Amino acid sequence: MSSFKRDKKEEEDGVGNIFQNIEKTTVLQEARVFNETSVNPRKCTLILTKLLYLLNQGEALNVKEATDVFFAMTKLFQSKDVVLRRMVYLGIKELSSTADDVIIVTSSLTKDMTGKEDIYRAAAIRALCSITDATMLQAIERYMKQAIVDRNSAVSSAALVSSLHMTKMAPEVVKRWVNEAQEAINSDNVMVQYHALGLLYHIRKSDRLAVTKLIAKLTRTTLKSPYAVCMLIRIIAKLLEEEDSGNDFPYFDFIESCLRHKSEMVVYEAAHAIVNLKRTTSKELAPAVSVLQLFCGSPKATLRFAAVRTLNQVAISHPAAVTACNLDLENLITDSNRSIATLAITTLLKTGAESSVDRLMKQIASFVSEISDEFKVVVVQAIRALALKFPRKHNTLMNFLSAMLRDEGGLEYKASIADTIITIIEDNPEAKESGLAHLCEFIEDCEHVSLAVRILHLLGREGPKTKQPSRYIRFIYNRVILECPSIRAAAVSAMAQFGASCPDLLENIQVLLARCQMDSDDEVRDRATYYSSILSKNDKNLYNNFILDTLQVSIPGLERSLKEYTQNSTNQPFDIKSVPLQVGPSPDEREKKHKSEGMLTSQGPLRPPPVSREENFAEKLSAIPGIQQLGPIFKSSDVVELTESETEYFVRCIKHCFAHHVVLQFDCLNTLPDQLLEDVRVELEPSEGFELLSVIPCKQLHYNETNHTYAILKFPDDDLPSCVGTFGAVLKFIVKDCDPTTGIPDSEEGYNDEYILEDLEITLGDQIQRVSKVNWGAAWETAAESSVEKEDTYSLSSMNTLDEAVKNIVQFLGLQPAERTDKVPEGKSTHTLLLSGVFRGGIDILVRAKLALADGVTMQLTVRSPDDSIAELITSSVG
Amino acid sequence: MGLFQKFANFLGVRKREVNVLVVGLNNSGKTTVVNRFKSEEERVTDIVPTVGFSVEKFQNKNLSFTAFDMSGHGRYRDLWEHYYKDCHGIVFVIDSSDRLRLVVVKEELDLLLQHPDVCNRKLPILFFANKMDSKEALSSVKIAAGLGLDKIIDKPWHISSSNALTGEGLQEGVEWLTQQIRDMILSKT
Repeated sequence: MSSFKRDKKEEEDGVGNIFQNIEKTTVLQEARVFNETSVNPRKCTLILTKLLYLLNQGEALNVKEATDVFFAMTKLFQSKDVVLRRMVYLGIKELSSTADDVIIVTSSLTKDMTGKEDIYRAAAIRALCSITDATMLQAIERYMKQAIVDRNSAVSSAALVSSLHMTKMAPEVVKRWVNEAQEAINSDNVMVQYHALGLLYHIRKSDRLAVTKLIAKLTRTTLKSPYAVCMLIRIIAKLLEEEDSGNDFPYFDFIESCLRHKSEMVVYEAAHAIVNLKRTTSKELAPAVSVLQLFCGSPKATLRFAAVRTLNQVAISHPAAVTACNLDLENLITDSNRSIATLAITTLLKTGAESSVDRLMKQIASFVSEISDEFKVVVVQAIRALALKFPRKHNTLMNFLSAMLRDEGGLEYKASIADTIITIIEDNPEAKESGLAHLCEFIEDCEHVSLAVRILHLLGREGPKTKQPSRYIRFIYNRVILECPSIRAAAVSAMAQFGASCPDLLENIQVLLARCQMDSDDEVRDRATYYSSILSKNDKNLYNNFILDTLQVSIPGLERSLKEYTQNSTNQPFDIKSVPLQVGPSPDEREKKHKSEGMLTSQGPLRPPPVSREENFAEKLSAIPGIQQLGPIFKSSDVVELTESETEYFVRCIKHCFAHHVVLQFDCLNTLPDQLLEDVRVELEPSEGFELLSVIPCKQLHYNETNHTYAILKFPDDDLPSCVGTFGAVLKFIVKDCDPTTGIPDSEEGYNDEYILEDLEITLGDQIQRVSKVNWGAAWETAAESSVEKEDTYSLSSMNTLDEAVKNIVQFLGLQPAERTDKVPEGKSTHTLLLSGVFRGGIDILVRAKLALADGVTMQLTVRSPDDSIAELITSSVG
Repeated sequence: MGLFQKFANFLGVRKREVNVLVVGLNNSGKTTVVNRFKSEEERVTDIVPTVGFSVEKFQNKNLSFTAFDMSGHGRYRDLWEHYYKDCHGIVFVIDSSDRLRLVVVKEELDLLLQHPDVCNRKLPILFFANKMDSKEALSSVKIAAGLGLDKIIDKPWHISSSNALTGEGLQEGVEWLTQQIRDMILSKT
């Protein structure tokens, strides 16, 4: 049947793709004709084409297959057929990464590359660079240098681009080709000039001064190639972005002058650069925006698109400037190109007034089904911005979003809609009910598992707090009946949350959970059993700890601790308190996520998943004797500088807090080229109660080297108030004078010296880890029974706004704000800040700070903690 | 093969294409030897160590030779075997002034002779005792004895001392090879 179908399809396609039904094994078989004594170019070319087709369709050859076919291919070098030879080059490039011993063709390729046949040379260079490794590069260096300055522009371009690729592999070798690249930049050919600039910049990009020189030189001469000018603009923009000085930087004028360049591409690039520069003032912005405005009316679709896209990106940062173009943007709404129309509308949405929202939404609705997913995401993002700006319009927007949810679309698109709805719900309590209802409806028919799981989690968290929690249960239980195991498991967890938070629903939930215990999947059954047994205990405390609050430990930390635990055979049960805690994302990390992409298109490699700082330090510290037995690291503080950064010795300190100890890590940098420091250590004068256990000196400290010395201290026992203190610190070392060039000491004799450092503070924040509580209120209630409560009132006279006070308190106490109370609503004169955290040793702390604004800020601070001395410590240290 | 072609082959009118493999240790002069065989205008003046291999073409009598000039560097010697299968003859170049590495030559030669793609075929092997102009050069007889060439009984072989810089001795060797390959082809058809 299926073959019949395929036949029919082929008929419909007409002539269609002749390669459609080829198979790897057949092609490899056919490739054996390469080995024949006399080569038939036409036949071989066809086979190579098939092979390339297969490889480009994603077919993978194993090493042996690739090597075999590669060596067979090498025999085709005996043919003089031009087409075949060029196919061979392509084949080499495709197979170079999989086959073994690809360097076998080096000589053949160098021969082609330096030969008389121009048509071979560029392609041979590209193929050669794909097979070369760092060790072989030396052998072909001479040819590459020649090729870069070759008169033939194709050859020169190929060599330059290949060099650019090889900088990844052998940066040092390619660096030596600077002179050739310099020469190529003077070429008359537009592409050569562009590629030469690219290579030069890449070679020098790590050296700010060299880049500046390059720019200075190039801005004085006029580059012929518009591509090169665009590249230059990007380089300058990047430099301006990094530089701290203002826009009086002379090269800004160059960018501005490019606005009057004769090439449209350059003009656009310059406008794009100016608009995107962070510090551009409105005066500087004006000419750039007017250029973009001009482009909006251009008959060329690409120009209109580019202009609208740029305006769209900066609509938030420079709304006033973009508003000036509103009239042109209105005209583009009806543009026949849907991409342009979408961008125009979303730009208008970002800058528009509240009154125009309804009209614009209607416009979008008319064509939203005709645009691609990528643009739909842009629309959704615009709506999100709009919802944050005009909370009152949530009804219109929410309806629109839910309509979009019902349409077809990929995961990314759907996820962005769901994200937007979630943001709206979190930001705007009025929209919560309708938002949750839309999401419920969506998961009824959602093919993306990850999204469904997320929404179920959200329902579990938010649903119980609504007026009518029971209406969500049906939606959730439907999932248990209809979906795959991972969604069922998520649904079970969500239901348990309802059971824990709404006593009147408990009975019904128990019935549903009992049914889930018959599930075919292990995870679902496990969860159902777990929750139903906790719910049957009817203990508020248990609910809070095991259903509502999720596990607070860091997952990689837990994994490592468990691994260690299973390796050491002990009878003791595993202690979850020994696992480092999960740190909530800090505000600047969150901000980074939202930052748009950089100016230069080259994106860095994907960053590895973030490991908490404690993890990183734990690894380093565990290598040091004496530190391992202190237990797991509890918290590492931020870096504190103990000297000015330009002094002879630059010392910074990181405080690692353990359950009963604190390890001070001093990073010392020697900035004197004529000195070698030995036995470097920091002598401390600990405040009362602290006990200095040991000092681990750093044996040698060469010029321009950073090394570590450590001091291990024990916290005072049973005397919490003195756990906070200030230490005097002195850097002590033996100096040996040495030769500044070689770094070898002049004599074996050294002399003792010391250097006074700034005082070091052990603060409360160092000893507290931030922990976010999902259900702060419930935890607060339970703490009322089990914990000690301390209360005090302070007047913070130095603060003038609530915002400032909140920021300071959070920073000082090192606690995690809960339930978004770190954001002070505008125009209020009172605010309640809810905080939570864990003191070293694993003791919970909950803090409620009631703030009132009146001639400075007055604060009533209530602390609840199981340990009364900790509560005491916190209240006493504030103020 | 058509009757006419057979006839033409017999008379040697049509040019036959054959592949030969040029092997030997590094710095023995393989590329220089091949360079000599090429016509005057195609020759290159400076010769650099070959990396991998290079393909060259030359004519002798009415045979058209395609020579796979292999790199002799230790690192690439393992790659020779990829080309054994479809060659019609082997040219083995030896630096006759390099007494020290004669044992290495023997080892490589033995490996070559034992290779499954070579050992069962009646491949003609031509040895060039190259660099005969050098003072320390061993005579071709001594080299033949040193390599134990007399033990090769299943393959035709020939050794001639040569100087690839001047071309001395090369013609004699390649004529022998041409004759052998032609005989081999004729006996097959």
